Amino acid sequence: MQCKELEAVLESGGLHSLPSEARAHLAGCSGCQDLLADLSAIVVAAKRFPREVTPPDRVWVSVRAQLELEGIIRDREPVVAEGVPWWRGVADFFRPRVLAGVGAGLLAVLAGSYLVEHHGTGHVAESRPASPAPVQVSQKPTIAPAPSEEKPAVRTAKPLGQPAREVAAAQGPRPTAALELRPSPSEDIYFGNSASVLDKTESSLPSRELTNNAAVDAALRQNLRTLNEFIAECQARLKQNPEDQLTREYLNMAYQQKAELLTSMLDSGRSEH
Amino acid sequence: MLPQQKMVRGLLSVVGAGLFLSAAAPAFAGTTEQQEERHFTVKDRPMVIINNIVNGRIEVKSWKNHEVVVTTTMVPGKVAVDAEQVGDRIDINASSLVDGVRQPHEVEANFQLLVPEQTELQLRTQTGLILVEQVNGDMKLQSVAGDINLKEVSGYIIVKTTGGSLVCTLCSGRLEFNSISGGAQILQPSLSNVNVMTTTGNILYDGDFVRTGLYTMNSGRGVVEVRFSGTDSFDLNAQTYRGTVDNQAADFLKPDTHGKHHSQSKFSHSLFGTVGQGFAKVELSSYSGTIRILKRD
Repeated sequence: MQCKELEAVLESGGLHSLPSEARAHLAGCSGCQDLLADLSAIVVAAKRFPREVTPPDRVWVSVRAQLELEGIIRDREPVVAEGVPWWRGVADFFRPRVLAGVGAGLLAVLAGSYLVEHHGTGHVAESRPASPAPVQVSQKPTIAPAPSEEKPAVRTAKPLGQPAREVAAAQGPRPTAALELRPSPSEDIYFGNSASVLDKTESSLPSRELTNNAAVDAALRQNLRTLNEFIAECQARLKQNPEDQLTREYLNMAYQQKAELLTSMLDSGRSEH
Repeated sequence: MLPQQKMVRGLLSVVGAGLFLSAAAPAFAGTTEQQEERHFTVKDRPMVIINNIVNGRIEVKSWKNHEVVVTTTMVPGKVAVDAEQVGDRIDINASSLVDGVRQPHEVEANFQLLVPEQTELQLRTQTGLILVEQVNGDMKLQSVAGDINLKEVSGYIIVKTTGGSLVCTLCSGRLEFNSISGGAQILQPSLSNVNVMTTTGNILYDGDFVRTGLYTMNSGRGVVEVRFSGTDSFDLNAQTYRGTVDNQAADFLKPDTHGKHHSQSKFSHSLFGTVGQGFAKVELSSYSGTIRILKRD
């Protein structure tokens, strides 16, 4: 048995009841002996830790609601602990902890951003050769489409002044649609959480003026509407095509901007009033 | 009409006019702007911070003296301006003294600054223009609805606006711009690192790309336009989901010769290519706007 095989045995079977081959290897390998000693020390230390504190019910309510929203789970078992009225969890969840909400939103967005980047790397690394396809570009000047345009303009497949096939060959193969990586459920949850936290923060904004300044108020609210429209557009698109990476990146950027805008709106209100 | 009646009416109109003027006088006096000049002697490279949470312009120009001169124009009694100097740090705050929603001109503080050429800036305003000329140093400029105009500045430049636009002429160093509805125009730059992001604004980059430079420009719904010169050298990656890639420089762009496999998404229109040797890296994207690439004459 080699060191790597022993590591695999330790991972799958734990520290106890090692097979005879593993024991034989351990007897003659100081490196693996050290590894086993370290793992044993970690296990002992971990057992000394106090038991994990049970998270509050509202966390489970939120997680379950999000999972149901995303279609990851469908059953509707009660998640609130017995004896606690359902409205208690909801009320706790909606407590106006505005700054905490924004902070959580930012964290969720940052985590989402990390996942998106991580996902993006994986996408490139796991691309597989498939049938070559031409570059889709327009050769002549075009007019910018209106934002309300539903379908992308049809472009002639004509690459950079060379025949399409040549360019496609020079650029190498492109991945097939089947190999486009789907976002992981955790990534979706992060996105869902970001949206949820940001929406709740937005709903806690005062309806009256935020600042002492009508022009600034109008600009802030107008830009919030702009962002919300863009986010809705990206969300609708992602619902249709969850593996659309470009849309995902734009959605992530829009969430970050919204989190910053809400923070700025809340700060304005606090410093003025 | 009897002469007595005429006299009484004349008197009444004189008294009425007097009453009107006496009532209106404080109001007019209240909107009279006042100018105040403060001088701060500095030794080395100063850091000037202006936090203008009312409206107003901020103009910064450089001079050869080791002194920062701040000229403030405001309506007394409506805006409070506090300034302090700690070493080479000069910190200025302007805040409103009145309650209730006001029109922008009513709560306004305008700043004109003269600073040494090597100065770091951190400026924040709400609706007024921020103008910076011939200053070398890192700067962070923030505005809600005010535009930002930079001319011949260099350093690490961070610009954040909610709706204000940026015009950056002859800038060098590194630029980061982030806005929701503001656009960005980068003209004749010598920037080695550019990162521009706007949700609905347009982006125009008209100038050379520095060798080994990194240029990322993204717009959600706006047009992203790049005008390069024939002597430039860069790899290009342009992507749009619902817009179009308008390549008006097909004669200068050739397929990427560096052997990198570009994975084209089935969801977007993409263009990969190289100009010259491909020393710099240019990444453009627009969610639903046009990406236009053209060569300057």
